[in-house]
Amino acid sequence: MIKNSFIVGTAVALLCGTGVRPAEAQEVKTSSTTGIVEVSQVAITNAEAEVEKARAAIEKGKQLLTLIPEDSPLMPDVAQVIEAASENWKIAVDSLNGAKESASKISTASNASIADDYALLAKVNAGVALSGAKVVQIALTYIEAIAAEQTESLEIIRTAMQDALASCSQVQFNYERVKSLIAQKYSSK
Amino acid sequence: MTKFSTLLLTATLGSVALTANAADPAVAAGDLAEIASLSVQAKSALTDAALAGDVDAIAEAGKRSDAVDAAMAQAQEAFLAMERAIESGEQDVADSAAEELKAALENAVDALGGVIPEEVQQAIEDWKSDRKNAGAKGRPDDPVNVYEVPWDSARMKDFYQNNFANFWESGVLPQDKETTPE
Repeated sequence: MIKNSFIVGTAVALLCGTGVRPAEAQEVKTSSTTGIVEVSQVAITNAEAEVEKARAAIEKGKQLLTLIPEDSPLMPDVAQVIEAASENWKIAVDSLNGAKESASKISTASNASIADDYALLAKVNAGVALSGAKVVQIALTYIEAIAAEQTESLEIIRTAMQDALASCSQVQFNYERVKSLIAQKYSSK
Repeated sequence: MTKFSTLLLTATLGSVALTANAADPAVAAGDLAEIASLSVQAKSALTDAALAGDVDAIAEAGKRSDAVDAAMAQAQEAFLAMERAIESGEQDVADSAAEELKAALENAVDALGGVIPEEVQQAIEDWKSDRKNAGAKGRPDDPVNVYEVPWDSARMKDFYQNNFANFWESGVLPQDKETTPE
């Protein structure tokens, strides 16, 4: 139980300590002929909204944790789910910042092809951020169900969490693949 | 942001992405990422329904989630076919596979919005039934799963096993490189 409390405490500290700057207004590009620039901006806006929702869920989750007894048999689950939430919160925040950084380079790219590649990176990285934020929200939903003693919902949420984590890994995996493929394109020139 | 507007944005992402060039592996991998992200969103909708305790909503969200996952499997197969076609110089086949992947993305967007063709629903039910009856958990000769799946989910482990097996067969493994186009 002490170990569980330590893990929960550490994970909560991580959740609270990792911040993301409030959503900044994004300059919307209108000159692209391909649409990928606009798509990347929409993706970033969408991801920002989900990261904000995840932040709100974390705030709510901190209150909910106080409702769960230390000796609850579900405490190991709580510890595990918070650990997953903590990891994915960091991923969401880092990826959102990365997406914004890629998007900021679109306008200074030397040609349309490079601008499109930056836009693609921004779009996919925003997808990583959105997925990470969604996993955080699901994790906090699980904690909410435990705190509210909605035991009949737990199995569904637990399975959904498992599958969401796996799909989220797929998003990250394919982001790395996009990076790799773009790198190959320029290294072969 | 409301769920409707989130869905609208998702649909916009999907439909605009459909206009991208055919047989571009980077764009295709981006589409794979997008479909996986739709899968995560479907799971989130399912958990919302579960928390609300609405049995009908749970069933509907589960149906949509399964259909998105089916589209993800369709996209994975199309991506593999595209990679092989590019390697063997079959541009027409590669373009066709890229179109198949785009169709999978469209299917995933539709599925998340609740538009699921009857034959897809039936195929999912049949697949579930077959897996249940066979007690299948991946092929016995699958390579070792290189991904860490923190939660024990037999269905997703199967998915990963097949996914890695595809890479294994294609001989192409993703490499983590720094990407700075310029």
